[in-house]
Amino acid sequence: MIWRRALMLVVLGITGLALETSIFGEMTLYGTKPQLLLLVTVAIALSEGPLLGMTAGFTFGLLTDMVLGLPAGVTALTYTLAGYVVGRIRMQMQAPSAWMPIGMIAFATLAAMLFYGAFSLVLGQESLPPGRVLRHAVQGALYNGLLTPFLYPLVRGLGARLRPRAAEVLGR
Amino acid sequence: MIRMFDRQRRLRLLLLTFVLASITIVTIDFRTHGDGPLDRLGRVAMTVIGPLQEGLSTIFRPVGNFFGGIGRIGSLQADIELLERENAELRAQQEAVEDITRENASLRRLLVLRDRFNLRTAPAQVIGVSPSNFERVVFINRGSADGVRKDMPVLAGEGLAGRVVEVGETTSKVLLVVDRASAVAARLASNGKTGILEGTGGATVRFELLDPEAEVEVGDRVLTSGYDGGVFPPGLPLGTVVDAPPPHSALSRVVTVQPFVDFSSLDYVLLVTSEERGG
Repeated sequence: MIWRRALMLVVLGITGLALETSIFGEMTLYGTKPQLLLLVTVAIALSEGPLLGMTAGFTFGLLTDMVLGLPAGVTALTYTLAGYVVGRIRMQMQAPSAWMPIGMIAFATLAAMLFYGAFSLVLGQESLPPGRVLRHAVQGALYNGLLTPFLYPLVRGLGARLRPRAAEVLGR
Repeated sequence: MIRMFDRQRRLRLLLLTFVLASITIVTIDFRTHGDGPLDRLGRVAMTVIGPLQEGLSTIFRPVGNFFGGIGRIGSLQADIELLERENAELRAQQEAVEDITRENASLRRLLVLRDRFNLRTAPAQVIGVSPSNFERVVFINRGSADGVRKDMPVLAGEGLAGRVVEVGETTSKVLLVVDRASAVAARLASNGKTGILEGTGGATVRFELLDPEAEVEVGDRVLTSGYDGGVFPPGLPLGTVVDAPPPHSALSRVVTVQPFVDFSSLDYVLLVTSEERGG
């Protein structure tokens, strides 16, 4: 069962990546593309908690690194941390508002993009100048925030299908 | 409580596993310089994703362009203005190139004609046409100062265009063979039957053969005969027979000829400066 759901996660990642690099890749907003798989990762973390959040983040990030030829592991690490942190924050919230997913996804996108830029810089990878990284991070955060009302309900539905896997992974 | 604590510990353990895995992957990637097992896996994944991307792009590209366009409305307006300016410039350049190409072709034809008949010629440019609807004349940029004389034959690329009828100091007036006042001694290339080629004022000319029994067929070529006092050198192409009705009288036969020269687009012409053949 774990393998079946793991496969579902991979299929979800591949589909998301195909969408991210096709239709969403052309939907630039002031030169910035939306971070679809990051949005999905954070949305899963919000609806299902840190376990599924970081698992999805690691899977999606690794797929992104492999397929797009990015420095392998950097996106995986970024998305893993984003999924875990957002999932932990969500766990602390008693009565989240309807605006919470938008704000959380936007903030997580901003933080994740800045972390990615900083980590790439530390690794000595070719990276954009800090000013442009910041601009893209802010615009990417706004863009993901704008997309959240349309995509979050869909991702929450998909997350529910993955839910039992959490118990299996934890060995319960 | 113990169960919750255990769960937290497992979560942190899994996080640590993922983080360590990521860092290990980063290290492997650095060491393999982009040719490690992960890159090969990536190429496989790319093979899977490729057709999916292509299909999605084809279907959703208009949607993507629409959303992308919203954010670029301001710059798009500037782009449109820039492109319109560039388009206008390119159109002007294209027209200039087309004009030069046409002139070039016209001049080449003139050179061929000059060499073929071994004539002594001078080039001239058509600088105007008569505004009158009743005469078919053009003006050229050569006059007496250039050695132009009355009755000099004028050639266009395809054949005889007309003759000089008035000479100014720097310009001249050329009566075209299609003008009603034009008459050129001509002959059929097929059998040498002679006659007079007269303008009609229209697109075609009439060729009145002296021999009413002369055999004429549509498509026969008509050339200058050179028998009218030496105004036109013999053998210059005039046109082709396009209509050859039976003779109306016992004295002559009239056929319709389509001139070779396109009089609607005369650019450059050659003045035959000497009837003597030579360099």
